[in-house]
Amino acid sequence: MAGGGSLKEGGSPVFDITPHKIAVCHLVQVFALHTQPDMPFAFQSISHHHRLGLFLFSLSRSCEGFLEPSLEELLNQLKALGGLAMLSEHLISNLLVLSSPDDLFNFFDKLRGVLAAPEGSSMEEEQTLLDPNSHLGIFVRCCILTFNMLPFEGVCHLFTNLVAYCNSNDSTYEMAEDDDFNGSEFHELLEDPEVDCEAAGLEEYGPENDAQAAENLTHIPSKFLSSFLEDIQASDDPRIKHGDGGSQSGGLVPLLNDNFRTDDNLGILRSRWQIEGYLNMQADLLEKDAISFPLYSFSASLRQLQKLAPELHRVRYLQYLNALYHNDYLSALDELHCYFDYSAGMEGLFSRSPSPSSEFEVGRYETALLCLGTLQCHFGHPKKALEALTEAVRISQQNNDDSCLAYTLAAICKLLSEIGISNMTGIIGSPYSLGTTTGLGTPLSTQQQLLVLLKRSLERADHLKLTNLLAFNHLALAKFDLKHVKKPLLSFGPKASMKLRTCPTSVCRELRLSSHVLSEFGADGLLQLNDTGAFSTSWLKNLSAVGNPWLKKLQKPRSLSVNDYDTFQFYAQPSPIPGSVLQLAGASYLLRATSWEHYGSAPLVRMNALVYATCFADAASSSELSLAYVKLIQHLSVFKGYTEAFIALKLAEDKFSVSSTHIQLLKLQLLHERALHRGNLQEAQQVCDQFGVLASSVTGVDMELKTEASLRHARTLLAANQFSQAAAVASNLFCTCYKFNMQVENATVLLLLAEIHKKSGDAVLGLSYVLASLSFCKTFNLDLLEASATVTLAELWLSLGSSHAKKASSLIYRALPMILGHGGLELRARANIAVVKCLLADPSYLVSEGPDAVLDPLSQASEELQILEYHEMAAEAFYLMAIVFNSLGRLDERENAAASFRKHVIALESPQDEDNLPTHGFQNYRHRSG
Amino acid sequence: MSSKESYRVELRSAARQLSDRCLYSAAKWAAELLIDIEPDAHAPASSASSSAASARATPSTSSAARPLSHLHPAASAYRRRLRSAASSGDIAATPPAGVSYISTPVPDDDGFNSDGGNDRYLLAKSYFDCRDYRRAAHALRGQTGKKAGFLRCYALYLAGEKRKEEEMIELDGSLGKSDVVNSELISLERELSSLRRIGSIDSFGLYLYGLVLKDKGCESLAVTVFVESVNSFPWNWSAWSELQSLCTSTDTLNKLNLKNHWMKDFFLASAYQELKMHEEALKRYECLLGVFRSSDYIQSQIATALYSLRELDEAEVIFEDLLRNDPYRVESMDIYSNLLYAKECFSALSFLAHRVFLTDKYRPESCCIIANYYSLKGQHEKSVLYFRRALKLNRKYLSAWTLMGHEYVEMKNTPAAIDAYRRAIEINPRDYRAWYGLGQTYEVMNMPFYALYYFRKSSYLQPNDSRLWIAMAQCYESAPLQMLEEAIKCYTRAANSNDSEGIALHQLAKLHGVLGHSEQAAFFYKKDLERMEAEGRQGPNMVEAMLYLARYYKSEKKLEEAEFYCTRLLDYTGPERETAKSLLRGLRIAQTAFPSMDIGHFGS
Repeated sequence: MAGGGSLKEGGSPVFDITPHKIAVCHLVQVFALHTQPDMPFAFQSISHHHRLGLFLFSLSRSCEGFLEPSLEELLNQLKALGGLAMLSEHLISNLLVLSSPDDLFNFFDKLRGVLAAPEGSSMEEEQTLLDPNSHLGIFVRCCILTFNMLPFEGVCHLFTNLVAYCNSNDSTYEMAEDDDFNGSEFHELLEDPEVDCEAAGLEEYGPENDAQAAENLTHIPSKFLSSFLEDIQASDDPRIKHGDGGSQSGGLVPLLNDNFRTDDNLGILRSRWQIEGYLNMQADLLEKDAISFPLYSFSASLRQLQKLAPELHRVRYLQYLNALYHNDYLSALDELHCYFDYSAGMEGLFSRSPSPSSEFEVGRYETALLCLGTLQCHFGHPKKALEALTEAVRISQQNNDDSCLAYTLAAICKLLSEIGISNMTGIIGSPYSLGTTTGLGTPLSTQQQLLVLLKRSLERADHLKLTNLLAFNHLALAKFDLKHVKKPLLSFGPKASMKLRTCPTSVCRELRLSSHVLSEFGADGLLQLNDTGAFSTSWLKNLSAVGNPWLKKLQKPRSLSVNDYDTFQFYAQPSPIPGSVLQLAGASYLLRATSWEHYGSAPLVRMNALVYATCFADAASSSELSLAYVKLIQHLSVFKGYTEAFIALKLAEDKFSVSSTHIQLLKLQLLHERALHRGNLQEAQQVCDQFGVLASSVTGVDMELKTEASLRHARTLLAANQFSQAAAVASNLFCTCYKFNMQVENATVLLLLAEIHKKSGDAVLGLSYVLASLSFCKTFNLDLLEASATVTLAELWLSLGSSHAKKASSLIYRALPMILGHGGLELRARANIAVVKCLLADPSYLVSEGPDAVLDPLSQASEELQILEYHEMAAEAFYLMAIVFNSLGRLDERENAAASFRKHVIALESPQDEDNLPTHGFQNYRHRSG
Repeated sequence: MSSKESYRVELRSAARQLSDRCLYSAAKWAAELLIDIEPDAHAPASSASSSAASARATPSTSSAARPLSHLHPAASAYRRRLRSAASSGDIAATPPAGVSYISTPVPDDDGFNSDGGNDRYLLAKSYFDCRDYRRAAHALRGQTGKKAGFLRCYALYLAGEKRKEEEMIELDGSLGKSDVVNSELISLERELSSLRRIGSIDSFGLYLYGLVLKDKGCESLAVTVFVESVNSFPWNWSAWSELQSLCTSTDTLNKLNLKNHWMKDFFLASAYQELKMHEEALKRYECLLGVFRSSDYIQSQIATALYSLRELDEAEVIFEDLLRNDPYRVESMDIYSNLLYAKECFSALSFLAHRVFLTDKYRPESCCIIANYYSLKGQHEKSVLYFRRALKLNRKYLSAWTLMGHEYVEMKNTPAAIDAYRRAIEINPRDYRAWYGLGQTYEVMNMPFYALYYFRKSSYLQPNDSRLWIAMAQCYESAPLQMLEEAIKCYTRAANSNDSEGIALHQLAKLHGVLGHSEQAAFFYKKDLERMEAEGRQGPNMVEAMLYLARYYKSEKKLEEAEFYCTRLLDYTGPERETAKSLLRGLRIAQTAFPSMDIGHFGS
């Protein structure tokens, strides 16, 4: 989210003078004039001097919290700098000297002397005067200018505030000397060229504020504030001073806050620019991790901010985000409309500089519609979302807002691909909006329209140099490639290009394009110019953390999604790459994981998911991060068994709230698999039903969830040996998948049908299904699924009689490399058992000659199946083992195997004995979907 | 002694008490009402009757009550005597049949212990009258007694308000939003709450405490305090109207624990009016009119209610009457101007504007009336200018914000319009006209889907207004959305809630026709036709309806009805007439064919 940097809004103070700024000015004065003889003290070393400079720089730029720090906090920070004990006392005494409005005039007169003559005039060696064009120089100039523009009433207000500011400071501070602060790296920072360029940026604000500062001072009568605070004291919230907790001694926070409330010293606003930075930070944090923002207290602090700066409409946007991420539909809707009514869409969400608006005062409401669309999408109203987005398309075309159009198209793509709508004709396909590229007006299927839209959006983004969007589009295209068959757009003509590009390499190619684009992130208007603000904030935080090392322990990591490597580095140094870019880059890794998942390479899935979870957790939204965790846990369950997976799931559940859909689904999946393996069919059926409830009841929506639900239903029926019903469900599912063009699922369903026929003893019919599934797998590069299908094929051949054993074993051997390399426990065990069966069925093989060829795979299979608790197959393995031992005459071992067999059979028949994972937690899920 | 007499006695004493405490507008209200009480039929003049009545009760007051010399220095002496009269009158008062009012004794003024205290009060009051509020408060420092305490606090409160207004201008443009608050609120609250705790606070103090609490935003406590205040001294209209402004829903209104004093009827009537329960309000006012026969206040409220019920003609008569009685009246004349605007009476509106302009041009109402006039003339820029002036004078003037929004819409300045409407909503989030205006603005900008949200809001607040439902339906019906089913639902709502212009029926018929629901379409066309006939209207809609009905009945083989409509169509000119002719011809053929077919049937 970019800051709406428009300074155009009427009557908004860009810069105002506050007691805090006077204090900073005073420090600047000390900093600049330290060599002069009349200064009461000298700096101990040059590094002290530089440290103070850096501190001042950070103070004037940091944007944590929207209220300026109190004098006490400032003194604490000064103390943390170390070695400047004299300075604090000097500051206090000088502030106390200001006892009448006239003293203020004198102070600012004197402050003028700090600035060097503009240019050309010779600099004396002795003095370090401030360059008027440096950052601090401009800061001081702004202060002086604003003060000079004040009417007498303004000076009086300032004076009253100053008195309150000084009084707030209990004189009971003591100067602790802890000088373990290493200043060396700050020297480098101090010479940072960025300082200059930022200063230049600030200069633009200068002339603006000339005109307005005078009457626009927002000094809030502090008494009002305190009364306001009293009112919200009931809901006593630590976040009023959000982020400030880090910069002051943690144990004292509540106490200090109470002091502030009584001492009427909160009415100090920072500059508008800093507040915007603060808001942007909060917006990012909200998106990343909404749970850590309590709905009411955050909105209370926003309301306070709104009272302080009523002309900052962006606060309402934050209110909207807050409501959105806390799933409060009504207030989100209200706040959204409210925000756009006030801002008229002029605080561009996409471009910091609003497009040269030649038309007179026409609001840019297309962004409002775009937001409305995403809101409806977020709350699961695809139809309304689509209406809003179509209107957004129309209005942005009407207003020539190309970038908004591109974003809208992308949003529509997201909507189409994520939620999916069964019948779009009449909405998007209507002639006035979209879909006319084919020029034929033939009704396009949803996927075709999606492709058309994606291409259009991509072109537009490329044309407009919106790199972020471009990357997003590449990602979306890659996603599309993963999922869908590319059909020719025209409904007639040769269907040559019917190919699903699930091949990971082609997806990766598309992805590489996207990350390539991302490396040029600087070009996109989306990015914030505000990053040094964040740097300064974290610098100040570090300062306090280092200053009070014991504090570090108290500050428990606030956000769950901080990158792990951060703990090794300096505390909370923000990444130099903007969050949005990181997010997109991270998404490519997730996508890669998915593509490998389709392809069937578990290690690569794990690797990509791990990369995502470790490197991009910082920027990731909680839903995407949870997806990565889901992938990792799935991997665990397939390779390490359920016990470990459930332990990991517990951790993930703690990390994300229960409301995370991904985690919920994962839990259901795991429970279902385990119930099936254990033979607890009742539970399996229950879980299946819960799956069905989670999906939306609208036809054509949530297709993936629905497919999975009925797939699992069929498998449960199969496990219960109700073959005809299972077959009916599966073939029904096949029809649905075919109808909705879900080719990847088709392959799975066909394989399931084959399994059903295999189990029901109709091997011949099964053969045809498995062959069809195989051909699907080959076309779509679903290698692991293909291996699995091959095993099934072999089993089918085997069941046709021992004469086919040769063929079957050759099939299995062909698939073995893939299975052993990438397959999970179950598949490996199945393959091993199949190998054994083949051998046993082979008349040319005699057990007594090479028992290891049979026993090795069997013992391996039985081990793996025991981990999975897959009783049915484990029993089979032990049964085979017992037979082998029997024929070898190793009776003890035979008895052992038989006992294990017996154990598994019993377990299979009475599943209730085992520890059931509590199912009572599931009522929640029903509620949610209801 | 008649109840009217007791009203009179109560009001007379109340007006004096109120003005003695510098609560001028409440005093004005009471005095107005005092004059408006219908004279008793058997008594010739009010003053005589009152003196006679009081003479009957306590002979000692008869001489004191007659000359109401405002300038008399020793007013308290009169008051004391009058009080005894009033209290004895209360005892004797018999409430009118059917209504049992609680008689509330007029409370004691706390007497001053010494003459010095009284003198100080006099000084403070004259400072107050010269608007030297702080000096007034200063003069009363250290004075005990409820009356002095009240005036001191009240003066402080007003001083704070004055400073607040100044700061508003110092810190912001006057039309901008401002967060300045009265800086005296906190100390006042502290003092008044402690007074209330120890129980040494009178109803006026409670009223002030309520004001402070309301300004601070502690609304529920403010309601309780106002209720206490009006229960102990019901004649303070300012307290009632503050209480009314806090009753934003019928629920809060019904939960109030109010004594059944006759002032409660005034309160309830005005509260009902604010809550858009106009019929109930009208009933109450008509009841009150029985006693206060010539009350301008009640008349104007009735006229306002009638206007809100769209009974423009009746309301106009009342307003004209009002102006005749009180040519210098400005209150509620803005409503009259709205009415004239709605009736498009150019000259009457200009006359009204001229009159109020001469009376007091710097009243928000006058500016609003002038703005209305310019708006009617189509000079929207000037209209906006005057609305802005009205808002400068009273930034909480709800209808001016909304009307200014309308003007901006006319000027196609949509952002300004939206801003104006939003301001109105900020003042009163239940103002359906502002929500409706927002919806219209977005509709003008060709964003019907976005506009729907606002129309939904407005129709939620005013569910029985057909115009809102029609606006919503038109959004659904518009070319980009084409959600006809939803549009039909909205039109049905509109048709059920007394759609005077008959748009809903016609559109319902049309939409059903488009969707192929011919039976419903015919039903609605028929209803529409009946409506138009009842209202004696003509027009293309009529022709359309008849043509559809003729065709429908023909296809339904109800030939007689079809013929009926066809023949009616022949009365009109235009292409439909020819169509009707050919239809008629077809009908004739069918009619002749039918019987023969039937015969054929029977034959076979």
